Amino acid sequence: MEAFLGNLAMGFGVALTLNNIFLCFVGCMVGTLIGVLPGVGPIATIAMLLPITFGFDPTGALIMLAGIYYGAQYGGSTTAILVNIPGEATSVVTVLDGHQMAKQGRAGVALGMAAMGSFFAGTVATLFIAALGQPLTKLAQLFGPAEYFSLMIMGLVFAVVLARGSILKAMCMILLGLLLATVGTDLETGQERMTLGIQDLSDGVDFAVLAMGIFGFAEIVRNLENPETRDVVRAAIGRLWPSKDDFRQSYFPILRGTLIGAVLGILPGNGAVLGPFASYTVEKKIAKDPKRFGRGAIEGVAGPESANNAGAQTAFIPLLTLGIPPNAVMALMVGAMTIHGIIPGPQVMTKNPELFWGMVASMWLGNLMLVIINLPLIGLWVKLLQVPYRMMFPAIMIFCCIGIYSINNSTSDVLFTAFFGLVGYTLLKFGFEPAPMLLRFVLGKLMEEKLRQALILSRGSFSTFIERPVSAGLLLVAVVMLAIALLPSIQKGRDEVFTE
Amino acid sequence: MSGQVAPSEDQSPGLIKSTQELGAGLFLMAIALFFYWQGLDLPRGTLRALGPGMLPLALVTLLGVGGLMMVIYSLFETGPRLERWSLRGPFFVFGGIILFALLIRTCGLMIAGPVSMIFGMMASDEFKLKEATIFSIAMTIICILLFKTLLRLPIPVIGTLLEPIFPF
Repeated sequence: MEAFLGNLAMGFGVALTLNNIFLCFVGCMVGTLIGVLPGVGPIATIAMLLPITFGFDPTGALIMLAGIYYGAQYGGSTTAILVNIPGEATSVVTVLDGHQMAKQGRAGVALGMAAMGSFFAGTVATLFIAALGQPLTKLAQLFGPAEYFSLMIMGLVFAVVLARGSILKAMCMILLGLLLATVGTDLETGQERMTLGIQDLSDGVDFAVLAMGIFGFAEIVRNLENPETRDVVRAAIGRLWPSKDDFRQSYFPILRGTLIGAVLGILPGNGAVLGPFASYTVEKKIAKDPKRFGRGAIEGVAGPESANNAGAQTAFIPLLTLGIPPNAVMALMVGAMTIHGIIPGPQVMTKNPELFWGMVASMWLGNLMLVIINLPLIGLWVKLLQVPYRMMFPAIMIFCCIGIYSINNSTSDVLFTAFFGLVGYTLLKFGFEPAPMLLRFVLGKLMEEKLRQALILSRGSFSTFIERPVSAGLLLVAVVMLAIALLPSIQKGRDEVFTE
Repeated sequence: MSGQVAPSEDQSPGLIKSTQELGAGLFLMAIALFFYWQGLDLPRGTLRALGPGMLPLALVTLLGVGGLMMVIYSLFETGPRLERWSLRGPFFVFGGIILFALLIRTCGLMIAGPVSMIFGMMASDEFKLKEATIFSIAMTIICILLFKTLLRLPIPVIGTLLEPIFPF
């Protein structure tokens, strides 16, 4: 307990310097600013804003990046409530009741409650991370290559099971991501693999190049194709501060949502996506009058939004303690951290305690900022929602171009990004969802490295993965999950969950 | 919108029950074949000491099988049809990016910015030259102030070709 408080105190000592408060503020601010734009999800937002963090020291840059991440998340919710467009999978649920509330002139209350629920969830999740960080890091140090490999396999299976749409397509995206990760110089032999003889590819495909190509440029082309149908709320925003009744109805949904979201967020393989769905289902089940849901019930906003934010934050736990990103956004954070010279994993906490705890503390600070920034600025966000897409996309384009160029001062990176944009567009056309590919691309190198290490240690026997108890347990969970997901009856239920 | 796959109409009955699925399968098989061909010369090693070529080969095989399964499914299971492909969007957006890459060193951001943005904006049906010109120049100025003046990124504002003309 003493160590726990001491660590938090150290963290706040780092986060509360004037410089870092400012960076956190700017991060939250621009994150929301971009995240609120319809058609720009959190991945695109972070990819686009990555270059503005380049000039700062690693701690400051990461604090800013975390701010951008929360801002992007919250901006997505704002868009969901005001425009009826879910910016990302996790705000799909918010649209249901949030947009109805907005139509009834209660957009302000919905946004206010979402902000306060998120703040509460963020506070709890920060404590969660602080408490679990150390034990999990210790655990991580006991992990050998076999355990790491099995853990990543488990995450892979989870990701397949939780992906929307066809399981086969999700699996193929994962394979493609892993395949792309093999491009470049082989780690052990130094041999160049599948570089087509292009010098710039000998270090492999750059992560930011892939991310911006697929989530920045491909999305632009995709959005241009679909004629815009933006249903911006015309009713008044109304007051922001919820009434006593609203609070009374929201206390428990927020509590339950936070708990559900925080627990699911830790799961490998994008468990955070499930949080809002689970919370919404729970609230609807235990409500006295379930018919109110879908017609502007405040519980349907408060619960899922809290779950969303809690999950978004506890998703940092596998990243910071094990070095394994659980979803595509976190994979992007890995890329960002690597650019700043930090390899996420258990060693961060032991070698760089100030950075680790400073970031944890700044998470809480970021959540507080979001409440402070957003409530007075809602009017501005509404204006931003009216910016036509023909003005938005060239701005996104130039930001991405400048960002890509600045990473390595390389024009070939910009060209590669255009190429991956084209690939991403083709994938979208064929009905693939590219997020799992991005995540596996990041994990690919790590997986291959651990696989080969484990096989060297076991002298080429695959039974090492089953003989070691922890590894066997992880694989067993993966097999059971996959079997369950492939059962026809579950598959039908799964479709319903995702279409609801 | 982000990362989401828009629902499209289901295919009308015929030999191929889903052109989207068929295209997806063929596309994956093409990728698998390409990477297989690229990885042919890599030593595969043994199980005890995996070579650089082993994992790519395994992945390529699985990917090819996945693609084949999709092709087979597309003949039996009704699914979405392939949407119409537009050429305008990809041409101008990716063309704009390529222009940026070609111009940034030689002409700098002050030329590369407006040129690539105006070219890219032609991807939209509502393109207006005057609006695009004003917008792209304003955006370029913002970018120069933000990235060069404020954040000090090493992005060339005046390229190597124009430096003699702008000696400052």
